This record gives sequence, structure tokens and C-alpha cells, in this order.
Amino acid sequence: MQEIIEYIARSLVDDPTQVRVSQRRQGSTSNVRLEVAKQDMGRVIGRGGKVANAMRLLLRVAASRDNNSRVRLDIVEPE
Amino acid sequence: MTEERTTLEMIAPTIEEAIADGLAELGLSKDDVTVETLDEGSKGILGIGQRHARVLLTVKSEEDKAPPEKRAQAPRRTYDASNGDHVENLISISEATVGELIEKMGVFAEVKATLDEEDSSPDYPSVNVDITGSDLSVLIGRRAETLEALQYITRLIVGKEIGHGARVNIDIEGYRARREQSLKTLAEQMAKQAINSGRKQALEPMPANERRLVHMALRDFEEVTTESVGEDPRRKVVIIPNA
Repeated sequence: MQEIIEYIARSLVDDPTQVRVSQRRQGSTSNVRLEVAKQDMGRVIGRGGKVANAMRLLLRVAASRDNNSRVRLDIVEPE
Repeated sequence: MTEERTTLEMIAPTIEEAIADGLAELGLSKDDVTVETLDEGSKGILGIGQRHARVLLTVKSEEDKAPPEKRAQAPRRTYDASNGDHVENLISISEATVGELIEKMGVFAEVKATLDEEDSSPDYPSVNVDITGSDLSVLIGRRAETLEALQYITRLIVGKEIGHGARVNIDIEGYRARREQSLKTLAEQMAKQAINSGRKQALEPMPANERRLVHMALRDFEEVTTESVGEDPRRKVVIIPNA
């Protein structure tokens, strides 16, 4: 299900090589973690979090189709 | 500034077909281009040594600047700024992007992008993408928020691809047209209720485009005034009876 996030992030950032997406399942919740280059954070978050929220809605559809888990999306900078 | 003309190289079984295909691709007539035959082609003998004809079309006007040959080699996912091409490109990129998005969401449906003739100008094309299939309510979501998200993300991706803002509108199983009609009906009912009761009537929260439809629907109702109150995503239309 995290493929949707990977596709969107890679399409929107300036540096697709820095896009990392991972998924962890905890009970009935899936945690998807998106990491992009620092200078690309704005592109995947958007003004007022608009891009991030849109991604969450689409991720929710993907989750409902996949394993029907609740899903969380965290967007982080590389450490 | 160097002057770069738009050129298109076409390959087809015969010169005539190559020219016709090229003009169709550019959306131009024969008077708009100069034709240079690069290779007349050869029928060969019994199919051996057969070669297709190759022509180079150069657009006569000077306002177009685009690298030649691009389109013929990579029709998808490549933005070519030449005249007829950028509309075709916008259509195919939009269709491919929406197809990719829904597939990665695990939804399988038909995706078809077409030019919105009514809403397009040559320099500013607008594309409608229709998604059809069964059981697509999951793609629309509550108050169409999923549909809006899909449209928003699609516009961003297509816009990034073509290098400027993209006018792409997505509909799912005719949802928007039906919603528009039912919003109109709802607006009129609520307006009557406001007039009859003499009290304000608040509608459910709606996205901006739907609030706009309600305001428009009641614009000619002289007995009521409409306004939007609250903050997104809870912003809603209130219908106020005129005293």
C-alpha cells in the first residue's frame, strides 16, 4: 500500500533519489513513514499541510484495499 | 535569441501518409508547414529491403519553440511545447498519472482523459479525466474529499511534469454532475425553508467549489442572502432570509 506514497513523493520532489518509504504494522494500525530530502519537505507537506493531507486520504484508500488497517503517515527529514 | 522552429519528423509507409500523420499530430494544415523529404522509403522486393518514408515538417510561424523529434520517440511522459503537441501531451500525461495513482491505491477502473472543448483555449487547455468502473465510492469519499485529494495530487504531478499549472478536472462515474444537480435542489429547498420560517438555514460543511455552486444557485433568489461561515474544512453556507 505504501507504493502510492512512494509514487506521489517521487513525482513531486526535486530529488527523487532521497525518497524513502517504509511501512510498519502494529496491531490494526499501519505506520507509513516517508523520508525526503530537507529541501523537498515543503513539496510533500504543502501549504497548511494540504499535500500531506491529500496523500493521507489516498493512502487510506490503499490501506482499505490492502489489509483494511488503520493507517498513519509520518513525514520526516533524513537524520 | 536564436530562432528555433518547431519541427516534427514522421515515419510512415509512404510520404503521403507521413505528411498526413505529421499534420494530424501538429493539428495544422499543409499550408502551415514546409515539408522536407528525408527518405522516400522503399517498397523493397518481396518485403526485403523495405524502408519507410521519413519526412520533416517545419512549422512556418516563429512563435513555437520546441526540440524536434521528441514526440515521435517518446510520446508519453515527455513535454513537448510545440503547438498541437502540448494539448495531446497534457491529455496523455493526465490519463497516465491518474491511472498510475488509482492502480497504486489498489483500485482497478477505466481512466479516460479528453480535452474539455468548452473550457479550453489554444494556449490554455483544460482536460477532463473520467474514471469509470464498479464500486468506486471509495474513490469519492465522504463529501468527495478523496476525489478532491486525487484531483489535487494529479494537478500537482501533471503541473510538475509539464512545467506550469495544469487544468485537470477529475470525475468519477458522473459524480460531479449528479452532485451539482442535487446541491441545486438542496439549495432551493433550504431557501424556501428560510423564507417560510424566517430563520437562517445552515447547510452541511462543503468544499469551496460546492459552496460556490450553492451561492450561484441562489443568486437570483431575491428573498434570501447567502454567505459562507466558519473555517475549512468546516466552512459552510448559511442562507439568510431578507427581512
